[in-house]
Amino acid sequence: MRKGIKNLIFKKMKNRKLRLIISVALVMAASCNDPETVVTNIVHRDGSVTRRVEMKNAENKFEVSNLQVPFDSTWIVKDSLEINENGDTIWVKRAEKLIADVDEINSYYTTDSGANKGISRRAEFRKKFKWFNTEYNFSEIIEKKMLYGYPVSDFLNKEELQWFYSPDNLNEEKINGADSLKFRAFNDTVDKKLEKWYIKNIVSEWIGEFTALTGEKANMDMVRETLKQRENEFVAIVVKNIEHFDSLWSNGAMLREFIGEANALKYKTEADSAANVAADRFWISYKPYKVRTVMPGKLTGTNGFIDSAGSLLWPVDSDFFLTEQYKMQAESKIPNIWAWIVSGLFLLFVVTGVILKKRKGCLES
Amino acid sequence: MKMTEGNDRYKYNKMMEILRNSKPDLIQPEEIENEVIRKIRNEDQKTGMVSDFIESLFSWVYVGWVRRSLVGAAVVLVAVFIYQQGYILKQVRNINERVVNIGNEQVSVPPSDFARRLTLYKMSTKLAPAGEIRVSEKQLEELLNSYDELLVKYKDLIRIIEEDPALKQYIENKLNEEGNKKSDI
Repeated sequence: MRKGIKNLIFKKMKNRKLRLIISVALVMAASCNDPETVVTNIVHRDGSVTRRVEMKNAENKFEVSNLQVPFDSTWIVKDSLEINENGDTIWVKRAEKLIADVDEINSYYTTDSGANKGISRRAEFRKKFKWFNTEYNFSEIIEKKMLYGYPVSDFLNKEELQWFYSPDNLNEEKINGADSLKFRAFNDTVDKKLEKWYIKNIVSEWIGEFTALTGEKANMDMVRETLKQRENEFVAIVVKNIEHFDSLWSNGAMLREFIGEANALKYKTEADSAANVAADRFWISYKPYKVRTVMPGKLTGTNGFIDSAGSLLWPVDSDFFLTEQYKMQAESKIPNIWAWIVSGLFLLFVVTGVILKKRKGCLES
Repeated sequence: MKMTEGNDRYKYNKMMEILRNSKPDLIQPEEIENEVIRKIRNEDQKTGMVSDFIESLFSWVYVGWVRRSLVGAAVVLVAVFIYQQGYILKQVRNINERVVNIGNEQVSVPPSDFARRLTLYKMSTKLAPAGEIRVSEKQLEELLNSYDELLVKYKDLIRIIEEDPALKQYIENKLNEEGNKKSDI
């Protein structure tokens, strides 16, 4: 929606600065109306899920188009006016439903008409019987947006990745707490690396899309190979000339450099279309939220953040599913007491048999 | 006197001897015999049934391959149990080490998201060929500063409202009316 408004403004407005101000203001205005949303999945043994969506907003505006997570009139919805920790009055909408299985969650995602309808989301539930224990696995998955992007792990080390995937408030606490200078420098390093990652992804997506658009056209095999081989060079030029990239592209200098004069003229349309597609995939129309999951039994594995109450949390940021599938996964186990008893009795039976045999053998000898 | 005492003892001993030698006069000695034999037989039968049951229950111990298989199964069961529980303990320990204080759940547009927007804005003329827009980081920063100022003023306004109960009541009523009209859920 945000992008749609932005494009509309671009087409209608002539004044460059005015367009800029209005488009950014629109982005900001949209952000103001975004409810802070936390989805909680309470997973049950039979695969049913009690799903709670809690939305907080400064105004009593919860329009469907602004909501991050879908729900409908079959849910129990409660509205309240509360005071938050800063003393501000906020509107809270809580929706809850016992969902029979993950297929129902998936059907909500499929028919979603909210703010995040453009992203592909689904849930998975698996139950595995392992005699002594039963293993439960629940995941919420968001599919990647870019087809030809690079994993962020190619650009960030282990510590930086941890920072990248951490909830904002954890990072902010570090930045504003002790050793703030160290963490600020660290944050800047991560941001710089991320900017390189963004540019490399756009370039890679453009090359991939350009290759797809030019298809089987004659003499393009070499061009495609050259483009891929010179991808890093392409990225370096973009990074170096990011402020002048505009003119470099519009006068065709970039294309000429990489695919030659004749091809640059011949495939200008495809090149522009590929750039638009790459930008569309890069610019994700998305509103962030958080996912919480409560698993049955003892939690044994997760890639989320765990609080002292054993509750799991994942921030959902659009960067996380830009080039890779984002899987919010939790695993738990419940002991099968009856299997323990049966196994104990079986062991007793076998051991008794063996002892009896030995005793009889001794008596006979 | 001594003669009388010796006489009594003699009589007592004689009587005891007669009693010892006399056999009891049974009315139906065969019946008693039969009863005793029946009871002894029953006892033997009971002991035999239990031992037969135990014998048949554990008859597998005399069949080599069955014995080996069951012992093998028991060993596998124990091994699986130890492995599974050990693995779970290890996982739980790892999980406990990862516990963090998540704190409050303020959901805001993450800085990384902003950085991506910024990158795209920097390249935006290319990516939106219809427009002629150029945005520098400085310009965006100015806008964000203005936005922050606006937020501060908004908070001041909220504070003023909070301090005046009549005004607060009036605004809440208005918000409620507005909310009821506009909320589409």
